[in-house]
Amino acid sequence: MTQMLSPDMTMTETVTEKTKIEVKNLNFYYGQSKALKDISLSLPERSVTAFIGPSGCGKSTLLRVFNRIYELYPKQTAEGQVLLDGKNILDRSQDLNLLRTKIGMVFQKPTPFPMSIYENIAFGVRLYENLGKSEMDGRVEQALKRAALWSEVKDKLNASGLSLSGGQQQRLCIARTVAVKPEVILLDEPASALDPLSTAKIEELIDELQADYTIVIVTHNMQQAARVSRQTAFMYLGELVEFDRTEKIFTSPREKRTQDYITGRFG
Amino acid sequence: MGEHTVASFDEDLEQISKLIRDMADLAGSMVGGATKALLNSDNVLAQRVVSDDAIMDARQRELDDRAITLIAKRQPMAHDLRHVVGAIRMAGDLERIGDLAKNIAKRVSAVGLSVTPRDLSHSIDAMAQLVLIQVQGVIEEYAAGDAAALAKLRAADERIDVKYTSVFRELLTYMMEDPRNITACTHLLFCAKNLERIGDHVTNIAENAYYVLTGEQLPVNRPKQDETTMSAPVT
Repeated sequence: MTQMLSPDMTMTETVTEKTKIEVKNLNFYYGQSKALKDISLSLPERSVTAFIGPSGCGKSTLLRVFNRIYELYPKQTAEGQVLLDGKNILDRSQDLNLLRTKIGMVFQKPTPFPMSIYENIAFGVRLYENLGKSEMDGRVEQALKRAALWSEVKDKLNASGLSLSGGQQQRLCIARTVAVKPEVILLDEPASALDPLSTAKIEELIDELQADYTIVIVTHNMQQAARVSRQTAFMYLGELVEFDRTEKIFTSPREKRTQDYITGRFG
Repeated sequence: MGEHTVASFDEDLEQISKLIRDMADLAGSMVGGATKALLNSDNVLAQRVVSDDAIMDARQRELDDRAITLIAKRQPMAHDLRHVVGAIRMAGDLERIGDLAKNIAKRVSAVGLSVTPRDLSHSIDAMAQLVLIQVQGVIEEYAAGDAAALAKLRAADERIDVKYTSVFRELLTYMMEDPRNITACTHLLFCAKNLERIGDHVTNIAENAYYVLTGEQLPVNRPKQDETTMSAPVT
């Protein structure tokens, strides 16, 4: 049996901590090729977990397993268990629509729909809920406020989502994710295409959102991982090499491979 | 440890290491020089130690500049981060060692060999030798990457503390024997205290070096044996 990796928290933290997602012996295949090798770890609720590692290490693949988005593509299979609040989301009986309301995702490139700012948010909500006009207005405003975008767009809610800057578009995508009231937010390189100021706004947002959501972020920017996350996982060639408190990973990691990667000594 | 993908990163780190080694060499030479000047009433040597302190200060400023530039440019992580932050702190201790050696050197003319009792010279000389071994050893062990030796070296500071206590008592005795000794002995007492303080800075360096190498802190409590506070003369 594989040893379960969980970040080495202090006593006070462990007692109050609840596991939101528990991954057990997860293997993932792109056709014949094995992209994730026996991954086991548990992610605590309402905190930010970062995944780092070189391109092709499996970190984005792991993120894509969490909401089963990989199933949109043929010949991609996952084995093992991913427990969300103790329930295996890889079960065939799992309702995918329900799963994706619980686990929202924001991608590297901002992907606003070609419709108004208001509709970008309302569209997703309508898929799951039947709200009246004023309730929907309230939900849109709340989501935009949550994503720290409200003050910038409140006077032009009918303008196209595509008219916004890159940083604003990304926050619109976060607002869209937040609007359907998920429990977990997956962020796949959310700031890699943004300027430093927009990046700072996204990071500030992540910091605020972790009070209510469990956040998983994949990033190539190690300083970003160090700034925003509470625990960090280092992956390499489909393996989980090290998973620990973020301070520990970036000041004195246990594994040589982690040290080599984060200090820029790889390859 | 392997090389960085960016070769100039290695060069930047090496320059910082070299400055630390240079400062440690200079600190050793200043401590050795100051003690020798004191014991031989050698004013020329004392003057050299005093002027060396300016070089020490300049090296520390250069190290600070390089370390801050490196942090801004490279955003070091893990061992690299510990290495740079550790270097800044070690440089601070080495600079203080330089100051203390200078302070000893400045007292040389005030003490004068004629009034220094011979036995006392031996005691201070023995204490200075212990300190010198520590100063020279600490950066050698750090450069060799020997964490266990650093922990041992830190513990060895206790011997300096014990020696200081005995020098202190000895000086009190001389002062009580003949009040004419008071001026010289007071200066010598300050010199001995400076040597003891140098020992403390070496333990700081050893602690920092240990942290840089291992990522772990040495336990806070080190046996401490400064008994001079309890040895006030009974009248």
